[in-house]
Amino acid sequence: MAEIVAAALTSHAPLMTGRPDVAKPEQRQRLYAGFHELQRRLAATRPDLLVMFVNDHLQNFPYSNMPAFCVGLCDDYDAPSPGSSAFMKIPARKLPGAPALGMALLEAGLEGGFDFAYSYEIDSWDELAVPLHFLLPDGAVPVLPIYTNCAAPPLPTARRCHAMGGFVGEFLRARPSHERVALIATGGISHWVGTPQTGRINTDWDHWVLDHIGRADLEPLLRLTHDEIERDGGNGGQEIRNWLALLGAVPGWKGEALAYEPVPEWITGCATVWVHA
Amino acid sequence: MKTSYALNKVLTAVARQHAMKDRLSEADLAGHTITADERAALTSGDITKLYELGANPYLIRRIFRSRFKV
Repeated sequence: MAEIVAAALTSHAPLMTGRPDVAKPEQRQRLYAGFHELQRRLAATRPDLLVMFVNDHLQNFPYSNMPAFCVGLCDDYDAPSPGSSAFMKIPARKLPGAPALGMALLEAGLEGGFDFAYSYEIDSWDELAVPLHFLLPDGAVPVLPIYTNCAAPPLPTARRCHAMGGFVGEFLRARPSHERVALIATGGISHWVGTPQTGRINTDWDHWVLDHIGRADLEPLLRLTHDEIERDGGNGGQEIRNWLALLGAVPGWKGEALAYEPVPEWITGCATVWVHA
Repeated sequence: MKTSYALNKVLTAVARQHAMKDRLSEADLAGHTITADERAALTSGDITKLYELGANPYLIRRIFRSRFKV
């Protein structure tokens, strides 16, 4: 049986690594310290597979074909690509994918009530590259990304995302193989990107989200509507769907915030959260 | 939430050229069917109007980055 040995939630923002100089040094240091502590704890669990709950930013999925949930079947992932490497100031690299496992998840989903879309070619952006720059410095562990539509409404409900993660967790635990699986969700917390409120961060809402995750009290989060998230967390706040999906895979686990920094220069309420039983 | 497929189709095509712009040119709009309001907002680089007309904010940000204060 495969085992879920670790779970983590982090924000992602290209400026976190692309423009470290613009943030206040103490904020940057505290956030980076949170990432480094997350990396240390993650490495200690010796995962041999990362399942990642992430989202596209209109980078690949076009409005002509927009999946709610999409499993990556790529042999490898650019994290980052040579093109975005300069912008994020992270060396370009390829991370191995886990297409056989992805295919098994797809087939299990079709049997079990989750009709995932799939893609053999994904042009990733900061959702993989920035968090994994910190969390997977040697890049040796295969990655299975599951993309949830957080950017092109209408979006799957918070509750549906949580249920999707629950399905993924059950699928992993039922595997006949013996992988040690780490789950990582990236995105959020509050941020407004490209809207008239670009740059706003809602620290009250961010703390409200973190407090509920800290107590494993998810029901208020699962009741959130698209409009409520848009109002209080911004269009970037819609990415908490990824966090809720991960939390669905580890029922009852609690999130310990290792860092939370609202960084206006990176236009994001930035957090790193270790999730444990 | 309002979505204009026509606007987002134009913006997606420009974004895939990996070009950041202050405003779109007539050449960028060639072959696209868009309203007069959409055309005006694209060719003037009016990021607020584009949002109101149903352009995706991630695409607005990607292309018209220079229009944002942060």
